[in-house]
Amino acid sequence: MSGKTGFKTFAGGIHPPYNKELASGKAIRACPIPPEVYIPLSQHIGAPNEALVAAGDRVELGQRIGSSDAFVSAPVHSSVAGTVKEVAEITGFTGAKVKCVVITPDADQPEFAKQQGKDLEAYSDEEIRAIAREAGLVGMGGAAFPTHVKLAPPKDKPVDTVIINACECEPFLTCDHRLMLERPADLVAGLKLLMKAVGARDGIIGIEANKMDAVEEMRKAASGADGIKVEVLDVKYPEGAEKMLIFALTGRKVPPGKLPSEVGCLVQNVGTAVALYEAAAWGKPLYERVVTVTGDGISEPGNLLVRIGTPIQALIDACGGFKGDLAKIVMGGPMTGWAQPDAKAPVVKGTSGVLALTADVVDVAEEHECVRCAKCVDVCPMFLQPNFIVQAVKREEWDKAEMWGALDCFECGCCSFTCPAYIPHVTYVRKAKADIGALKRK
Amino acid sequence: MAGELLTNVSPHLHKKDETIARAMKDVLIALAPAAIWALVVFGFNVVLILAVSCIAAAIAEVVMRKIMGRKITLKDYSAMVTAVLFAFLLPPTTPLWVVAIGSFIAIAVFKELFGGLGKNVVNPAITARLLLWITPLSVYTTKFVRPFYWKDSGFFTPIATSFSKGVTTFQTLAGNSVDVVAAATPMSLLKSGRWGVDVITGPTPIGATWTNSAGRPTLGSLFLGLKSGCIGEVSVLLLLLGGLYLIWRGTIDWRIPTGIIGSFLLLNLIFWNQPLYNLFAGGLFLGAFFMATDWVTSPVTRRGKWIYAVGIGLTVFLIRLLHYRPEGVAIAIFMWNFGTLLIDRYIAQPKFGEVGVGVFNKLPILPEPAPAPAKKEA
Ligand code: SF4
Ligand code: SF4
Repeated sequence: MSGKTGFKTFAGGIHPPYNKELASGKAIRACPIPPEVYIPLSQHIGAPNEALVAAGDRVELGQRIGSSDAFVSAPVHSSVAGTVKEVAEITGFTGAKVKCVVITPDADQPEFAKQQGKDLEAYSDEEIRAIAREAGLVGMGGAAFPTHVKLAPPKDKPVDTVIINACECEPFLTCDHRLMLERPADLVAGLKLLMKAVGARDGIIGIEANKMDAVEEMRKAASGADGIKVEVLDVKYPEGAEKMLIFALTGRKVPPGKLPSEVGCLVQNVGTAVALYEAAAWGKPLYERVVTVTGDGISEPGNLLVRIGTPIQALIDACGGFKGDLAKIVMGGPMTGWAQPDAKAPVVKGTSGVLALTADVVDVAEEHECVRCAKCVDVCPMFLQPNFIVQAVKREEWDKAEMWGALDCFECGCCSFTCPAYIPHVTYVRKAKADIGALKRK
Repeated sequence: MAGELLTNVSPHLHKKDETIARAMKDVLIALAPAAIWALVVFGFNVVLILAVSCIAAAIAEVVMRKIMGRKITLKDYSAMVTAVLFAFLLPPTTPLWVVAIGSFIAIAVFKELFGGLGKNVVNPAITARLLLWITPLSVYTTKFVRPFYWKDSGFFTPIATSFSKGVTTFQTLAGNSVDVVAAATPMSLLKSGRWGVDVITGPTPIGATWTNSAGRPTLGSLFLGLKSGCIGEVSVLLLLLGGLYLIWRGTIDWRIPTGIIGSFLLLNLIFWNQPLYNLFAGGLFLGAFFMATDWVTSPVTRRGKWIYAVGIGLTVFLIRLLHYRPEGVAIAIFMWNFGTLLIDRYIAQPKFGEVGVGVFNKLPILPEPAPAPAKKEA
């Protein structure tokens, strides 16, 4: 459907302050390698990985250090050449302890040895899936679902359209924007591989209207590519949510509890598509990614190419350190990211940004009784009733929480953003999901 | 790093200025033009009534919250909104002590006893007004003055509060009598006379500009606000402006006033029941924009809002058609405040991509007795 501006969009949603200008003009540059990297063994949704290395082992850049035989899993690779110090439990970005391989990098780091002369056209769908798995690709927008699993949709649900989610609808973040400006051809090549892998006819790159320079670059890069088009979307959050994006671009609605393949679509993130290209063309596993380091609490916001496992303090140092009255550090975007108690957590494959927000930006207030203003209901892109989910959770009426949509909530945060009573709906939704899940397993 | 970092769950942004206090301030701003106009038309008494209503509401809120051990929330202005709306529902002759009692009850009983803002089931201002109406105090709330009556007695001359049964002439505090028109509001004209009979028996209202030859207000004067009536329902134009401001600010949902006014107008058109006169004469605009849109007591879904709004329009129409009550709008909104409970519970809102959902939620007809807390592992 079309929004007020004439661009494609969905119903509901919000217009947060975007603050993209802080980092959007900054070219991607490499983040210095820290004295130690902490690479979490499992950085995906699915079965956990086993460590393939032990304390004292030497590891090379891009060497596989953790994997699992389970289908829904993605291996992890060393992001540096160095020596394994230990395999230890470290507090990850969600606050939970995660098993990490701690590596001390060599003083001299090699360049990655790119394989040469690969014919991307020659790969079969089977091979592309194998490459994706081998390289440890996951959704790099934050969800971190293993890519090869997404590339193997059920046989009875053929995928005809691959969508590149280039909305970057989260405020502050600019890493996908930069990738489009700096590597448009690689993104188009990645998209072609994705289309081939699922046998899709159409490829759509959906970009929000606040990145018209990227639209132009991508249109240039995609001209002449069969079946690929670049579409401009309304600037609205969460335009890049899978279901909203599919609806905005194709008019198809993924039913509650179903996957995009239900309506013949596959959605992949910009970073993932570029990473797939790198894996297929150069044989490079996913051991580094672009992270936007920004916020009004960062001295020199920018976009860094960061080795996985780098503690976020190193990123912040690379951007001139903190400034102002720091109130919050967030890993990810400001709408769905995780607030950090310190700057120690390591960057993972799904880390799109590191934000430092000052007290001026962070707006916290005591939770008031719901005043039934219906603003949350109006903005919920899933058409849920967040106010009643909260009420049901407070009363522990799990069946009602489910009826009002707790399980269909994808935690975009629109409801809390707009709630005059400052109710943290997502907190309640997570509680509902955990408890409903526990009840169902019984 | 300076001090403790915040680690609450996402989202980490909040819409600027989206607070309860901001919304309540918006309502007060939206009501201001109508209040000022009432002051011009009905004299200084209006200020006294508004002031007393606000003070009584504030006292009620503080006292009740102290007793119930809750935090004082005067700063959110919600008590003030209730107080002003309550005052708006009173005739400008209402004795101040009656105002005080009513306003106190509105907050103490219909808001705080239910658990405070957000938990109340019925609109406090409306309910308090209806309560006055069914008690003996109602005698004090049925006398109206003609516009600009103060030209004779003086702008600052308060109206005396001494009522004796059946007497409808008012005394100013200074002792001279204010010539006050007894209860000839446009609504009562409509009821008793329709268009046929001239029912004004008192002195002719000022000027010939606002009445036609039969002594009834013209549509223009109703719309602009040259009529007798309750403090807040005088100028349709100013209420409309205030309402549009609230819609523009996103404080109220356009569906509710649209549904109420639209359905009411449509029904009056179909049954040709003086559509425009009916629309402008009573408290419909005040109710539609400021009372029925009360967040707490209106449904939350879009579908629910339409049902609620059309329900109110229909109810007001029936009350006016079948059984004239000056409080028709208030009664209708009060009734549909209960309708809200049912609508929110039973009317389904299909989720994104959900098909084949009926109109109703799959819930037992009767609310289950007490929510049984689910068993939890230790
Ligand atoms: S936005 Fe907040 S206050 Fe308004 S209905 Fe939703 S939960 Fe209640
Ligand atoms: S209920 Fe869930 S999906 Fe709906 S707005 Fe809130 S966080 Fe987003």
